[in-house]
Amino acid sequence: MLDERSPILDDANAGFICGGISINTAACRPGGFPALARAVGCRVAPDRRAVTVLLGGTAAADVIEGVRRSGAVAVVFSDPSTNRTLQLKGYDALVLPPEPGDAALAARYRAAFSATLVPLGFTDAVVQALLACPDDDLLTIRFSPTAAFSQTPGPQAGEPLVRGA
Amino acid sequence: MRIKLESIRNCLEGAVPGTISTCAPDGTPNIAYLSQIQYVDGEHVALSYQFFNTTRRNILASPYARLAAIDPHTAAHYRLSLQYLRTEQSGPLFESMKAKLAGIASHTGMGDVFRLLGSDIYRVLDIEQVPGQTVPLPRPERNLLAALRAFSEDLCGAADLDDLFARVLTSLERNLGIENAMLLMVDETGRRLYTIASLGYSDSGVGSEIAFGEGVIGVAARERTPIRISHFTSEYNYSCAIRDNLALEGCLELETKIPLPGLAASCSQLAVPIKACDRLIGVLYVESQQDMRFGYDDEDALVTLAGQLGAGIRLLQQAAEAPIEATTQVAPTRPPDNGGKPLAVRHYAENDSVFLDGNYLIKGVAGAIFWTLIRDFVELGRIDFNNRELRLDRRIRLPDLSDNLEARLILLERRLAEHAAPVRIEKTGRGRFRLKVTRAIELFDA
Repeated sequence: MLDERSPILDDANAGFICGGISINTAACRPGGFPALARAVGCRVAPDRRAVTVLLGGTAAADVIEGVRRSGAVAVVFSDPSTNRTLQLKGYDALVLPPEPGDAALAARYRAAFSATLVPLGFTDAVVQALLACPDDDLLTIRFSPTAAFSQTPGPQAGEPLVRGA
Repeated sequence: MRIKLESIRNCLEGAVPGTISTCAPDGTPNIAYLSQIQYVDGEHVALSYQFFNTTRRNILASPYARLAAIDPHTAAHYRLSLQYLRTEQSGPLFESMKAKLAGIASHTGMGDVFRLLGSDIYRVLDIEQVPGQTVPLPRPERNLLAALRAFSEDLCGAADLDDLFARVLTSLERNLGIENAMLLMVDETGRRLYTIASLGYSDSGVGSEIAFGEGVIGVAARERTPIRISHFTSEYNYSCAIRDNLALEGCLELETKIPLPGLAASCSQLAVPIKACDRLIGVLYVESQQDMRFGYDDEDALVTLAGQLGAGIRLLQQAAEAPIEATTQVAPTRPPDNGGKPLAVRHYAENDSVFLDGNYLIKGVAGAIFWTLIRDFVELGRIDFNNRELRLDRRIRLPDLSDNLEARLILLERRLAEHAAPVRIEKTGRGRFRLKVTRAIELFDA
């Protein structure tokens, strides 16, 4: 069924989640432990109705397994320099092979995230190691965000964003 | 080999914020950033409960969670499988996390937002290292275990309590590279501490006091637990706490206030209780202008030293009161009369405070001791004293027989020396000392 409403992500938030910020992904396997993995890049469809996060298949094996079984996913994006944090949830997540250009996207993401973290006292070597992922290990998770929550620390954390502002 | 929690404690310090994933009853996953992960013991961590959020709702429904922690120096990435057990809303762990959170909150500009509602205790069921790249660990600045051994050997050589205090401070600097420290003892009320020695401040602050519950030092004393803060926070800053309290106190209190030494903008603070046979006798406090200067290992090192220090204080205090041999009686001494104006020694019975020529010297038990000594000198011409008789002297009203009399004498001796007073205390042997008076004295008892 087509969703006629405007997408949950506005331009500003779509730009935010594709920036050099921290990305973490969670999924649950029915009856299993919640799974958690760091993503290594993100892209948003031109109509902003689909978000794709890039992951290392080995490091994110549990999350990938959970998504394959349930289709439910949570992705949190946070800018360590401002604490601005946004969480997206979706229930139609699919595990897909990377598209051409995804390896380059992951490399650009590493450089951008490093540029955010180095002024905060981290070394580039540590950031590069943390986000390292062989090109042939890349996988993606694509989902349609059905809910978005601001999680910038504070009493309003967890409140849903106003849809289609 | 199973990864031990204590071997990855440094990843919990928050340099890279940890994340936690939980699952709602309908299968919806959730992720939250953690402002604080506290190592509790080899099998437990505690997370700060600040808001009733999705994470909390989820763990109350199903106690299982997964936590990611990253080593900020090597990029090693760990995942911990957790089971929520309970929430503590008071006590040592809660207070320790509350203090730490205040530092984190202020560091991240969240001072008005973060408030600890509880410490959520989780059992760590499993730890796995996430496959990935790491970089070599930078060479540590020092081997803490070797430093601890050298420190411990330094303390073993102490001849008396005064020497022990001096050795603690020099050894902190020499072996641990710590430049600012204070040693405080519990006073007769059992609710306050007084500074007996300090390191690295322009004013020694000897004799300054802090109430239990006030700042990092006071909370460490009240809760009998180490308190460690890694970032500046005005909530636990001494200059603020003292300024606020001054406004509330009476006039005599104000006059008898010695400012607590301390860095104006301390970024890292660590206060460790000193216990002797489970009884709190003091606090060892170290601080630094550097963020995250003290880690779990430094805390362990100081807790270990505080154990030796507590036992050492107790032993040397007893040694200072060995039976007195027959003392040779010295002929009564008259105050010197060098023609100058006599030193006005004023005593206020209200709090046993003593002023020399109008300048505050000391109060409390140490004030009562000084008043007793100086009266015996003026009225009886007496200059030689010993600890044992002072302990039994009813004029001093020691709170109990195990009170650390020797520490009061050291405090008094230091205050007199800092004032360049014409009355000094000089040790003449174990548990014995002599009053050295170089000006005529006039007593006023208010």
